[in-house]
Amino acid sequence: MSFAERRRFLWILFLIGLVLIAVVARATTLARLSFEDLAARADSVVRARCLSTESRWENGEIWTFSDFEVLDAPKGLVGGLITVRGLGGRADGFVSTVEAVPHFSPGEEVYLFLLPARTNAADARGPSFLVLGWAQGAFRVHRDARTGRATVTQDSAGLAVFDPRTRAFRRENLRNLPVEIFEQRLRAALARAPEQE
Amino acid sequence: MPRQASRAKRTLSRAAAFLFAVAISIPAAAYTFNYVVPDMRLPAAQSGGSACPVPLRVLTTAGSVNRRWSTVLGASPVTILTADQTPDGRLNEIENTILESFAVWTGVSGSTLTPASLAPLARTSTQNACASDGANSICFDQSDAAFTPGVLAFTRVISADHLGAQLGSGPAATQIGQILDADIYFNPGDSRTRFATPAALASQPSAYDLESVLTHELGHVFGFSHSAVWSAMLFPYAPAPGTFTGSRPSAQQPDAPLSDDDRTGLRVLYPDSSDAIHVGEVSGRIIPANPLSLPDAPAGVTGIYGAHVVALDATTGSVIAGTLGGWSCGGAGPAQFDGSFLITRLPVGASASYKLYAEPLNGVVDPSTVANATATVCRNVSTDPGWPAPSSCVVPSVDTNFTVRIRGTP
Repeated sequence: MSFAERRRFLWILFLIGLVLIAVVARATTLARLSFEDLAARADSVVRARCLSTESRWENGEIWTFSDFEVLDAPKGLVGGLITVRGLGGRADGFVSTVEAVPHFSPGEEVYLFLLPARTNAADARGPSFLVLGWAQGAFRVHRDARTGRATVTQDSAGLAVFDPRTRAFRRENLRNLPVEIFEQRLRAALARAPEQE
Repeated sequence: MPRQASRAKRTLSRAAAFLFAVAISIPAAAYTFNYVVPDMRLPAAQSGGSACPVPLRVLTTAGSVNRRWSTVLGASPVTILTADQTPDGRLNEIENTILESFAVWTGVSGSTLTPASLAPLARTSTQNACASDGANSICFDQSDAAFTPGVLAFTRVISADHLGAQLGSGPAATQIGQILDADIYFNPGDSRTRFATPAALASQPSAYDLESVLTHELGHVFGFSHSAVWSAMLFPYAPAPGTFTGSRPSAQQPDAPLSDDDRTGLRVLYPDSSDAIHVGEVSGRIIPANPLSLPDAPAGVTGIYGAHVVALDATTGSVIAGTLGGWSCGGAGPAQFDGSFLITRLPVGASASYKLYAEPLNGVVDPSTVANATATVCRNVSTDPGWPAPSSCVVPSVDTNFTVRIRGTP
């Protein structure tokens, strides 16, 4: 093997190694939902910007309520302000931790696949929703400060790993996708999704 | 080049590592923990007087981990499948699975979490037994407003950010970060989601393995967040229906389902001072060659934040432990973002040798996937009104734009 071939082989090994390495710091026990599953099963899909968050006790559990301004609603009749609720948060000296529940920061822009929440806080600024599949249904928009290029990454994206048994990569999660491409995929998935009754 | 780090305490003062030479068999991150920063607005007698982040943990004194399970089981749909269909036999089979799952974690050597730490497993026939009441409960037929499709089970862990915090009938916290209540909820409402005991799994190939899911959730009860080691118990996705994680536990090896990554994480959380085997440490700092590349804000950042540092067994290439580097904390705190990392509880011995690598989170790894672990190490006036300035810090953005080289102590 020549030096160039060896270097190329090592470079390929290096790339494979990088792909194999996946970090994650969240979850619960999830059943995989494909992008098509998410599109079909979500009641609403929105692009939204987080305005504020607050954690408090409600019905014996600490919830974090995140208010969003809806920028676009590719699916569902959602507009204006909505509240997305998720288990966990910090309130009154207690810290409640539930892995895989997405949490948001003010100013953050996201795509969310939503289901209506069964309960709605009395002081909610808008209708309340849950994120479908938790980390699987939250896609964050990152903007490169220098180029302004926007990309979209699924919260559960770090979970794409190599399965030695099948010798295959599970590529079900989306990461660093240019926002235009993401929207194309979203439109296509929504077009394929069966009409909800 | 790979660094050979052997035996105890080796410090890399201007660390870094390599991205290369990583064995192909390690699709890996490693265990992670959630942290709590004590409430520094309270007197030192309650806050402990330090703003250093503390990992969540249960007490491990004799009988300190109370536990019960609700015998209320769903009938329509039947979500828990057993081989024994008699009423008593069914409950016994489920209970044995629960006991075996606990024993997986208490079977790890070199940890103070032992069978003696656990109170006897109680049964309750109370509907909706899972509540924020100081009792650690497992519920198979309790709906929760947070369940959505795609979520099979979750564990809600409530911990204290100050001494004396008390939840329900549970004891008052004697440690910051003490887990006061941990409840496991199995999704009862999805007719497509069913769980089978080990005895029933072979005949129910479309069901999820109850023992794997339960053992995973118990990892959260004991303070773990997640691992992306695909074979780790704390890997967040359930094994495919009809299959289970790792090997089944046995009398000879009750912790057989766990990976080394899980075991090391448990030893880090619950170190046993009498353990003479797992006493190796590797520590260091990851700093940029050009300090001007550090972020302008927040102030005081002197090292790379959020690098993923992993120790591999030099012989087998398997992941032994890993950490998310970038901060240290001592005294009154708060966390200092100096690029520090520390990997502890590594086995030592004549044949123990490790390779260390570090990588930025810009590949398959993404900062958003470790947000819980990176965002919880600081509190300030923005997150908590009235927070004292000397105890404040702001978590910097995870640094993803670097390559690494290794340098030993000068």
